[in-house]
Amino acid sequence: MANTTVSLFIQCLVDSMFPEVGEAMVTLFDRLGIPCRFPPDQTCCGQPAFNSGYRREAADAARHFIAVFEDAEVIVCPSGSCVHMVRHAYPLLFADEPAMLARAEAVAARTFELSQYLVDQLGLVEVGASYHGTVTYHDSCHLSRGLGVIDQPRQLLKGVEGLTLIEMRDSDTCCGFGGTFSVNYPEISTAMVDTKIDNILASGAGAVVGCDISCLMNILGRLSRRGEPVQVLHLAQVLAGAGQGGGQ
Amino acid sequence: MNSEEKFFATVRTALGQAADGERPAKLFPQLFASPDPRPALARIAARGPAELAELAETLLAAATENRITTYQVSSLAEAEAVVVELVRQTDPEFSHTRHLLCHDHPDIAGLRLWQRFSRESVAVHTSFSQDQQLREKTIAACIGITAPEIAIAETATLVEISGPGRPRSTSLVPSIHVALLRSEKLVADLEEAYALLGQRQQLDSFVFVTGPSKTADIEATLVHGAHGPCELHIILLSEPTLPGDTAHSAQPAESAKQREDTPESTAPPEAG
Amino acid sequence: MNRPSQSNYTREAIKGIASTTLQTNLRSFQERLGQGAMRMWVELADPEKRRRVKASRMRTLDHLDIILASLAEKVRARGGRVYFAETAQDASDYILAVARKNQVKRVVKGKSMTSIEIGVDPVLEAAGIEVVETDLGEYIVQLAGEPPSHIIAPCIHLDRRQIGRLFADQLGIDYSEDPPTLTRAARHALREKLLSAEMGLTGCNLACAETGQISLVSNEGNIRMATTMPPVHVAVMGMERVVATMAEHRETLQLLTRGAVLQKISTYVSFVGGPADTPGETREFHLVIVDNGRSKILADPEFREVLACIRCGACLNICPVYGKIGGHAYASAYCGPIGAVVSPLLEGINKHADLCKGETLCGACKEVCPVENDLPRMLSALRHKLAYGSDQWDTRQMNPAEAFAFRLWRHLVTRPALYRAGLRLAALLQRPFIGKNRMISRMVGPAAGWTDSRDLPPIARQSFAARWRQKHPPTPDVAKKTAENSGEEKV
Ligand code: SF4
Repeated sequence: MANTTVSLFIQCLVDSMFPEVGEAMVTLFDRLGIPCRFPPDQTCCGQPAFNSGYRREAADAARHFIAVFEDAEVIVCPSGSCVHMVRHAYPLLFADEPAMLARAEAVAARTFELSQYLVDQLGLVEVGASYHGTVTYHDSCHLSRGLGVIDQPRQLLKGVEGLTLIEMRDSDTCCGFGGTFSVNYPEISTAMVDTKIDNILASGAGAVVGCDISCLMNILGRLSRRGEPVQVLHLAQVLAGAGQGGGQ
Repeated sequence: MNSEEKFFATVRTALGQAADGERPAKLFPQLFASPDPRPALARIAARGPAELAELAETLLAAATENRITTYQVSSLAEAEAVVVELVRQTDPEFSHTRHLLCHDHPDIAGLRLWQRFSRESVAVHTSFSQDQQLREKTIAACIGITAPEIAIAETATLVEISGPGRPRSTSLVPSIHVALLRSEKLVADLEEAYALLGQRQQLDSFVFVTGPSKTADIEATLVHGAHGPCELHIILLSEPTLPGDTAHSAQPAESAKQREDTPESTAPPEAG
Repeated sequence: MNRPSQSNYTREAIKGIASTTLQTNLRSFQERLGQGAMRMWVELADPEKRRRVKASRMRTLDHLDIILASLAEKVRARGGRVYFAETAQDASDYILAVARKNQVKRVVKGKSMTSIEIGVDPVLEAAGIEVVETDLGEYIVQLAGEPPSHIIAPCIHLDRRQIGRLFADQLGIDYSEDPPTLTRAARHALREKLLSAEMGLTGCNLACAETGQISLVSNEGNIRMATTMPPVHVAVMGMERVVATMAEHRETLQLLTRGAVLQKISTYVSFVGGPADTPGETREFHLVIVDNGRSKILADPEFREVLACIRCGACLNICPVYGKIGGHAYASAYCGPIGAVVSPLLEGINKHADLCKGETLCGACKEVCPVENDLPRMLSALRHKLAYGSDQWDTRQMNPAEAFAFRLWRHLVTRPALYRAGLRLAALLQRPFIGKNRMISRMVGPAAGWTDSRDLPPIARQSFAARWRQKHPPTPDVAKKTAENSGEEKV
């Protein structure tokens, strides 16, 4: 299993705004000796359109995604919501197109979120990372409720040398991102992320770790505006860190 | 087509049926099929004194959780003493005199409350179904006494079944509700209670009562005594069948039922 | 992607967020009940129960004509009357006619959302009939002249001081902020109304076709009063609020009280279906079964599931959006996640477009729902109607500009080279906005919604794709596949 070539599915936000998260994933896979490739024609899984109701557009994005990843042995993505989209929305989009549906389901069955892949597929919880400091973990909705991935990231974090995981209150309550929701209803979205941030601060952890850059971007943006010094890290960044101090 | 036919036509169309294609219930027996109640009924019938005593313990514990005051008695005379004491302590909430309203039930009649209070300013009424002043008496009453047919141990829930002589309002309108409960009436859980209810031919109106009335509408602060009774008292009567039996030993549920069905020739006179 | 900042939803939401009373009350309410319910489902001794009840709810809906006919037959056999109302107007007219025939001057109500949906109160009031809410919370909001803001806690937006002042003004009692004292004051004021009213008007939690009864769940006892003491009792029910058998009733009831307030059973569960046997108690019973748009929901396989709802309110107790904005923003009889789905379906998707769009689809409501209603799926389906318009639902396309933007987006995401070029262009355009902290703190256009309260990380100078290509120059095999992807950034 460990020598299966992983096709990296780099969420569009990671690709464009947080490329270091994608690089961290590559560093991690290199260290673990997991071969990986990056299909260069990938763009976006279609989630923004789907969540806004634009299913035709989302379906076209999905068709593109399927064409790009169809020949992949296994597809791993640093974002729970994109994996959720592929696994749970694609079948809905192609409900009336049996041929596409079959292709979509075949791709969906091989698509995993990072922590899910490491723990459930490879049976890894210790990946040789070290991080000196305290972190708290935010459960992204589509990862925890949608894919049922709750323990896997925590197991991985606990396997990091020097890292202390402090649970925050209501770690699984939505951060208020919600895609276009955050832009269309900024007041509600901000009230929600403020509660999330209050809980992060109350945990006393030096950093908040998550598995979905959309939530992290929301948290980061509000932390930055509030001038709070807590660090925001993607799980991949923590797992990639070997022998480095906190804050890498 | 009248409005009701039209309503049904719309529903049928929505379900993809022909608008005028009435679907008779008897062609869909599986819709109304229920799990067999016999195992539950058998469980109830097979309960001996020891099991009933266990259920009584469960009920007493659940009652405390639900703010129900409980008394364990082994004779009607003891029950009577409890009621008398309670009446003497009660300040009427809605009238000057203390009015008691009792369901027309042999056990309650057996308390002979009208005799006990004949020399006090306590009015004892029985809810005879022909009484045209019943409403006024109910409204004036500070205590309503019932003898529930079924009680659920798990949650300390009384099943009050209304009928002639047993109005709905007795357990509702007076400030205090007292239930005289024979331990043979205990069942384990809601499932058993439904099984018994299902055995009755024409089910009257009935109500599950679990604790005194309450509200938490103001800042989620729990307050007892919203619109119904402020207090609920359960007098659990476990009559020994033979001298020397423990207090919890009881007659089987069957004979208890028969006793209830006997004509109520011992009904007390109306006292005032 | 216009900011609907002027919408009523946003305005009321902002008010809710600004109210410290609401925030405190909602928070403790959600912590206790919402999270409590989540834990309870995990610990439920019989985890199949939720699935069984859901299946029986769906089976009932699939055979609703049969089950309603048998309900009506049984109620009539008990001496009750049944009226089937196609519209809200029909239902209100019927209730008014019953009131007139019985010379009703005062109606006491038990909490009923369906009665709010059909708008019967104003109809009765216009005919000179006094309408009194008797649930304590409903009574308080009625005195305050406000709509309720939670299914089971209607005055969750008010604190004890506000209620104390209200009672002092309206009931003429001495000011008090002690909940027991206030409750007692309402008990006495309402007892008089409950005992003198000629008509009780209630909803129906669950009707049972097998026995021809409706059942009503309450803790206060007001509903028992309203169904017992006035000579006439009228119950209104949405046509889906029925179960076929007592066995189904039991399990559904168990989920209802658990979902609503974590109780194994509520203080009172009453079953009524006809006139009382006792003189001086209710002598006339009317059951008004309301369609008012439900048949349209029933007909649409995408939405039929929402009719499985048992109105327990659990989804309100977990929803992080409701937890911030409270009930008034929903501007409908039904609030919270269930309201966000059912109000647009009953009253118009365009009218309630904000309810369809104003959630994050976090999925908590589905998880807490005793019958596992997939509200996020249905919200997404509603957005689908808004995206393109729908004849079936009389719905217009909500936002042509947004639709255009997504068409453009499709053009880009299906053409990798163009997509990459677009990203580079965006990276260029954003430059003037990037501040010293490498964050964008002010954007124009729709994105201003983000930057009004949050910083925005900029688009990276070099994308992951570009960095990868730098380290892994394309092999001839891959190069062929990406021949058209020629414009990649090389910085
Ligand atoms: S949708 Fe589910 S949780 Fe919400 S009110 Fe209905 S039954 Fe309860």
